[in-house]
Amino acid sequence: MLERLLKRIADGGIQSQAHLARELNVSEDLIAQMLLDLERMGYIRRLEDSCDSHCAHCDLASSCAGRESVPLWTLTDKKLPF
Amino acid sequence: MSSSPSVLNEIQAEQVAKLPSHDHRVITVALAGQPNVGKTTVFNMMTGLNQHVGNWPGKTVERKEGTFTFNGNRYRLVDLPGTYSLSANSPEEVIARDYIITERPDVVIALINAASLERTLYLVAELLPLPAPLVIGLNMIDVAQQEHLEIDAHVLEAAIGVPVVPMVAARNQGVRELFEAVDELVHHPAAYHPNVPEIRADHREVLSELENLIKDAVPSPYPHDWIALKLFEGDAVITKLIQESLSPEQWEAVHGVLVEHDDGMMAVASGRYDWIGRMTRVAMRHPSMGQIGLTERLDRVLAHPIWGIGVLLIVLGLTFWLTYTVAAPLQVWLENLIGELSGVLSTLLTGTPDWLQSLILDGILGGAGTVITFIPILIIFFALMGILEDTGYMARAAFVMDRFMHLMGLHGRSFIPLFLGFGCNVPAVVGARVIDSYNARMLTIMLAPLVPCTARMAVIAFLAPAFFGRGAALVSWGLIVLSLVVLAVAGVVINRWILSGERVAFIMELPLYHLPNKRTIALTVWGNTRSFLAKAATVIVMASLVIWGLSYFPGRGIENSYLAGIGRVLEPVGQLIGLNWQLMVALLASIAAKENSIATLGILYGTGGEENLASVLANTITAASALTYLVIQMLFVPCIGTLAAVKQEAGWKWTFLNLAFLFVVSISVGGLVYAGASLLP
Repeated sequence: MLERLLKRIADGGIQSQAHLARELNVSEDLIAQMLLDLERMGYIRRLEDSCDSHCAHCDLASSCAGRESVPLWTLTDKKLPF
Repeated sequence: MSSSPSVLNEIQAEQVAKLPSHDHRVITVALAGQPNVGKTTVFNMMTGLNQHVGNWPGKTVERKEGTFTFNGNRYRLVDLPGTYSLSANSPEEVIARDYIITERPDVVIALINAASLERTLYLVAELLPLPAPLVIGLNMIDVAQQEHLEIDAHVLEAAIGVPVVPMVAARNQGVRELFEAVDELVHHPAAYHPNVPEIRADHREVLSELENLIKDAVPSPYPHDWIALKLFEGDAVITKLIQESLSPEQWEAVHGVLVEHDDGMMAVASGRYDWIGRMTRVAMRHPSMGQIGLTERLDRVLAHPIWGIGVLLIVLGLTFWLTYTVAAPLQVWLENLIGELSGVLSTLLTGTPDWLQSLILDGILGGAGTVITFIPILIIFFALMGILEDTGYMARAAFVMDRFMHLMGLHGRSFIPLFLGFGCNVPAVVGARVIDSYNARMLTIMLAPLVPCTARMAVIAFLAPAFFGRGAALVSWGLIVLSLVVLAVAGVVINRWILSGERVAFIMELPLYHLPNKRTIALTVWGNTRSFLAKAATVIVMASLVIWGLSYFPGRGIENSYLAGIGRVLEPVGQLIGLNWQLMVALLASIAAKENSIATLGILYGTGGEENLASVLANTITAASALTYLVIQMLFVPCIGTLAAVKQEAGWKWTFLNLAFLFVVSISVGGLVYAGASLLP
């Protein structure tokens, strides 16, 4: 199941945890747990959801609706095991 | 939750009455589970005041132990630290597993959350291989029922092969049954046949090989099969333990196996998750369709690969329509206001030198006016974007657009700002700040000026009929399509050869939908508008003054101005692509604002007003030159407002790159169009 999740992620594009859960027939909770494990193994990393350097200069970065980004993960450069 | 002395005394009094006189053995039970799963409730319920609180040896982690009597037996209950797993990531996890391995409790109770069964079973998957029998307390059954989760404890028990006791510890339900099961297991250990998770099948042979390599060196009381699993997981504590226990040659052999199978961690974890999947599939039923929450019901449409696109087009259409419909009257009102202010200033400046009047009216007011007319567009845009983001819809928009955007190395989050470029490129560039990825953000900013904005389309709308009569609609449509094709090709090229190297995969957690917060939206609009005015306005005004200066001085009319001189210098280039110096100057003037090109042509051809320009142009410029001019106008360097936004969002380096990129693209495509159009009769 973990490999299926990683393969699905490696297919590219944006996946939502909800859709991945439906596809793998598990709960979103378990998807969240598996993402933590994949992060621990070094295959994915969590994108910082704070403002980048440009928004950091913005006076109201802390209340900007444009920065209230959803939690995002992305693949790292680690070679995939398939 | 009830752990009152009266309840405890009632249970204990009943059990004391059943005490046989010969059983003096103390049965040790360890209580394991994730934080906030109810361990403390159970612990307090059973031990009451017979507790001892201290620290685990050599650690600052609290240790709780207590005693009680149940079914005639004395029990010692040890509350292990709350952990999600048994890795070496935290002292609590190391404490919990070391206690079970070294102290060998008679039973381990794994308390799990029925409402989060799959996730909490992960700890069970790690507990099962340890040398202590397990009883599972399936707590919070009431919460699971509220979420319409159906869990069959008997089926789960049969699947896992260990006793499973449904409970609501907070209401003292199932606690007695839990310890009945413990008691039964202690006295009938032969009945214990757990279904232990195994490593992924393709690694079982190498796991056996590893076990053989280490089994004679594993220090007691660690089980060598568990040690082998932990080595594969890269457990730092166990790796150090074994490395110190083996000779250098033995360790080299072990290390060689681990390096050769560096996906061992994946194989171990994968085996656990597969096990969890099998256990829950047989014992758990998810909620049926009618009971799904609002967010999931909305997402079945809004995040649908087909319906989601349709909804997105409607939402974006409404956004686009609202931005420019609501802003347009405000813009007209502001333009009229500026016009009236210009009239007042003109009266006040009567008698002053011409250059001063022109500086203030054409330069300063003209430059400042450009900035002011942007404000209604930006305010509406920021408000609408803020609402879409705050409600949670923006995440769905990015999600459904992704499959189209990724062809260009972009993602759904880039589509939103690019689409807004159809109204004005400034919000398209500024809006790119919602994109987290640096490369995708820079690519979006580079491509945003290629989106045909309303100002460009206004120029096309005026000039196309002047040049092409009834063919104007087809020409206009073709110009817009050409812009988008160039945008797509440029996106692919830039992504592949300049901004490449980034894996384009993202997993996102779609937030729950909720009503937007007025204060958040207001602060967003205020903050972003103020930020834009403070930074971009200075650049726009300064640049407009420069353009004015070049078109006014040395003061002998526009035909003899420095701007005209620059136009004549560029004329040789212009001749290659069919543009005379007047068209080249109009092109340069469009950098201040795209509509400036029409006004500039009016001045250069001496028509005194736009209404005669169309007929003059039709008689002066060939169709091939006209088409070339329009193509270049669509792809040319954007207006100063957009350039200022690029500078603000991306810095000088990307601004100059953007300038060079668009100059090259526009002239090259224009040249090709002229060459082709010249061949037509």
